[in-house]
Amino acid sequence: MSNGPVIHGSTKQQRYESLVATLYQDVYRYAFWLCKNKPMAEDLVQETFLRAWRSLDSLQNDKAVKAWLFTILRRENARQYERYRPELVDIEGQSVAESGENEPDARMDRELLHNAINRLDSDYREPLLLQVIGGFSGKEIAEILNLNNNTVMTRLFRARSILKQEFELDADELED
Amino acid sequence: MDELEFRKRLYANPNTPDQELLDAAQNNPDYQKILDETQELEADVNQLLSSVTAPQGLRDQLLNIPTQAEPEAATTVFPNRAAANSSYFQYYAIAAILLLAVGVTFSLMFNSGPSSAEIAFGNEVIQHLYVDEVEINAITAGTDSSILAMPVINQAMADSGTRLVNVDFLQGIPVRMAKPCPVLPAYQSAHLVIQGSQGAVSIIVVNNSPVSLEYTIRDDRFEGVVVPMGEGNMILLGESDENLDQYKDLFSEGVDWVI
Repeated sequence: MSNGPVIHGSTKQQRYESLVATLYQDVYRYAFWLCKNKPMAEDLVQETFLRAWRSLDSLQNDKAVKAWLFTILRRENARQYERYRPELVDIEGQSVAESGENEPDARMDRELLHNAINRLDSDYREPLLLQVIGGFSGKEIAEILNLNNNTVMTRLFRARSILKQEFELDADELED
Repeated sequence: MDELEFRKRLYANPNTPDQELLDAAQNNPDYQKILDETQELEADVNQLLSSVTAPQGLRDQLLNIPTQAEPEAATTVFPNRAAANSSYFQYYAIAAILLLAVGVTFSLMFNSGPSSAEIAFGNEVIQHLYVDEVEINAITAGTDSSILAMPVINQAMADSGTRLVNVDFLQGIPVRMAKPCPVLPAYQSAHLVIQGSQGAVSIIVVNNSPVSLEYTIRDDRFEGVVVPMGEGNMILLGESDENLDQYKDLFSEGVDWVI
């Protein structure tokens, strides 16, 4: 098991504030890559923390708080957006790909990688996001996604195989 | 170790390859090349995914949630003000009780349908089905024909604060899926999926407040019924042409609440 952050404080309010301070960046990152849209990610994060606040007393193991939050977010995303997702223009992708890179080649690589990640089927993208952003172990990912550990390992293998293949393919096409 | 095995194990967790992988890479230049390239790509993936940062102000909005969600908590922080307002509070309380009584009378006289909160609850449950859509589709299509053993079913029920009082009624009903269900994160609940005549039939038991009356829910695909039951609710949902009455009767009598 990965060492999840422990929330601090004796009152519900203090525990909640500690939860926000420790995890809001990771939760937002996960939301963004899950729904691929900044305003929707922001809404998802707000709804997630609202539900977390309401249910905080029922949280029995503070060490599992990160998995708990990610699970709430995942379900909220499924509930709100997976079925009724509006048509989105991916203007976010460009800004993420461009951020922090001045070299044209590096920017291009980031953009290709960004597109390759976004094209991944959600079955493969989700375990990858949970592993890279959440830092979860295979077992923890299996619990969050309600899969067995072997399936998670296979999906992580498939995710990176596809990513590598597509990224290299895109790069080759650009060179041609 | 062949190359496929090497790649499988490496791609599943490229940042912390085990010693066996490292040894294999050290003894084979081709494997070492795969390891280096994979870790290089992984570093890029890591950097890209981590480059997204939350918008300014989001943290403050999140910290404000408790005050927005429970504004009444603010009054309890200032006991002196609360005491000063106590006489007014009595009048407000009496007025609120009278209003409530009038409201209840009118609602009983003129409103025989579910409340907006109950409708929202029903919608939430239907939406939740789509979280398990892959499994439900497999059962409806007949590609999942597994039958769960009773201990698995009992565990899922126990996790929701319920138990089956009479397991005999499940004989002849193939239970394909049974698991704790997070439809309302604050409440325990269980989700069973059985094989109906038209496909998967979901039985969800939630230990939230019982709804005021039984009512039907539906969307483009699923149709179902919310049934108040003891200390909580039971929701049955199936494909729109499924006859749920038989299951409703069976499960209403077969499920008991453990408090």
